[in-house]
Amino acid sequence: MNKTIIININGIVFHIEEDAYEVLKNYMTDVKRHFLDSADSLEITTDIENRIAEMFSDMLAHENKQVIVEQDVQTVISQMGTVEDFASADEDSKQTDSANAAYNYTHQSRRLFRDPDDHLAAGVCAGIANYFDIQPVWVRLAFAVAFCFFGTGLFLYIILWIVVPKAITRADRMAMKGEPLDLQGFKRNFEYELKGVQGSVNSMHADAKPFIYKTRDFAGDFFDHLRSFLSGAGKVLVKLLGIVIMLACIGFIIALIVSIFTFFAYGQRGIVHLFPFSMLNHDYNIPFMLCGFLLLFIPLIGMALLASRLVFNRTTVGRTTGFTLLAAWLVALFVVVYYSIQIAAEFRSGGKMNQTVNITPNAANTYYLKVNDVKYLTREDSTKLDLKPSVAGRVIVDDNEFNNDWDDNNMPNNVSISIERSDVSQPVLVESFRARGRDYADALQNAQDITYHFSQKDSVLTFDRHIQLPRNKVWRDQEVRLTLKVPLNTKLVIDHEMDRYLDGINVYDCLENNKLDHTAPAPFIMTEGGLQCKIDTLVMKPDTAIIKK
Amino acid sequence: MIVENTQTQMRKGILEYCILSIIAKGEIYASDIIAELKKAQLLVVEGTLYPLLTRLKNNGLLTYNWVESVSGPPRKYYTLSDEGRNVLNQLDTTWRELAFAVQTSIEGRNNSNA
Repeated sequence: MNKTIIININGIVFHIEEDAYEVLKNYMTDVKRHFLDSADSLEITTDIENRIAEMFSDMLAHENKQVIVEQDVQTVISQMGTVEDFASADEDSKQTDSANAAYNYTHQSRRLFRDPDDHLAAGVCAGIANYFDIQPVWVRLAFAVAFCFFGTGLFLYIILWIVVPKAITRADRMAMKGEPLDLQGFKRNFEYELKGVQGSVNSMHADAKPFIYKTRDFAGDFFDHLRSFLSGAGKVLVKLLGIVIMLACIGFIIALIVSIFTFFAYGQRGIVHLFPFSMLNHDYNIPFMLCGFLLLFIPLIGMALLASRLVFNRTTVGRTTGFTLLAAWLVALFVVVYYSIQIAAEFRSGGKMNQTVNITPNAANTYYLKVNDVKYLTREDSTKLDLKPSVAGRVIVDDNEFNNDWDDNNMPNNVSISIERSDVSQPVLVESFRARGRDYADALQNAQDITYHFSQKDSVLTFDRHIQLPRNKVWRDQEVRLTLKVPLNTKLVIDHEMDRYLDGINVYDCLENNKLDHTAPAPFIMTEGGLQCKIDTLVMKPDTAIIKK
Repeated sequence: MIVENTQTQMRKGILEYCILSIIAKGEIYASDIIAELKKAQLLVVEGTLYPLLTRLKNNGLLTYNWVESVSGPPRKYYTLSDEGRNVLNQLDTTWRELAFAVQTSIEGRNNSNA
């Protein structure tokens, strides 16, 4: 019983036994190599192949069998002639060539191959030995010695195994041994094989198979499998990466869809009170949000599809669909850019409006600065919340930073307070309302629409945390800058909560210097050089301050 | 070596002439050419013929037709071209001259030997 191979010679199919195939393949390789220099090599070899096919057909028909055996191949070769026969026919034309070849032989550059005929593991050492024309045993010895140095030899060997190709064809073997790739070289190589030198070596491998060779064969198989496994693992890794990307994209898409639904379900009122959206004009926030959605959604879909292509190895989206998505994305981009420019234009000019509030002086010349914990609701808000008229306009809420449900904190910090020395004895608070708009008038109007509550009760000055904007007013960088002007030697006791609104004054540092608790108010005094922290607990007692003065 | 070389040279020159002569008899298939050449003991293996045929064809001396075959691939049937016929005529002349020259030389040698 023999294994057969199906071959195709110029369109005709033959069943051929494996060993017969080897012989035929080597023969054709030699023939092709022989005619390689000829300009008509393709035509000649095709003619020869056709003739071989015809001979095979005749043989099969004549002997009424189905499979070509080695004997048939040998018959065909003897009829067709070996490469040496060809050579004698055109020896004269080749004579000059072979003279050159003989010259070349000494200068023939060798190529590095793994030697399949003389190997212990993968033939790397033998290949290197061939390359440098030395005995393989020395190379093996060198690798063995190198192995003792932290396994360098083994590592190097495996790399070379992977990198260096195995000499498979006769031409490879000849190039490996530096034999010239011409007729003479082939002849020599062929004769060498005929002498059975290699044959006996091979048969010894096959028959005797000492333990070391068995081990070698096993190791060879093992590493072959390992290599195919690693190349398979690469594909698996790529697929895993694809799955991760795909899942991430799908996650983002779901989040995006949920948010856009939330936006529509809660109406646009909820979202426009959150800071980045509060600058959108109400009349175009729907198209803007939709386009913003598409702007993120389409690339995510695209990435998910690409990743799925990586995973499933097939195109999941047609060209038309792709172009449609791209067009939709570009439109969305255009709309978003257009509105962004519009919005940016609304910030072009700045407007400022000043207003001065007189502060009633007190005898002690001491003021307590506090943050307002009282939330002022507009009449509209009060009505909406169905508040009793008695409390309308003034509702106390717990207004700390962590629980600002009622806080209109839908914009960046917009209150800042600085404290300066006044030349007159009358302390004043200058409120500077600022805003931006598409032109000066618009900006000024926006500034005028700002409401800010400041109140004084005896010596206590209370500052609101935020400015108030009329309902439906969009964010235009409205802010209020307060300047408290107090005369020389005025004492200010500043609540620690004021710290975040104060420019150039650090309440906590002052508390630190006075070794006071972090929740206590800090004492300051107005000096020639501006407001200074007063490191003196006396300031807490207005009487002594007066005596001092 | 010199002997072999001379033999090869002589054989080679005559081979092309013979091939052209065989084809001149009419449309013919490569393996039939081989058969004729083998009969004439000029050539032993087929492989050598194909490069020659290809070269002659590329020099415009031959043309060929593809003919379907019952067994195996289509066959190339060769015929002489007009130029091939001219060349063959010239070669005929040359051959007669050579044959005469050789005959004369050999005769002289035989005579001297005898």
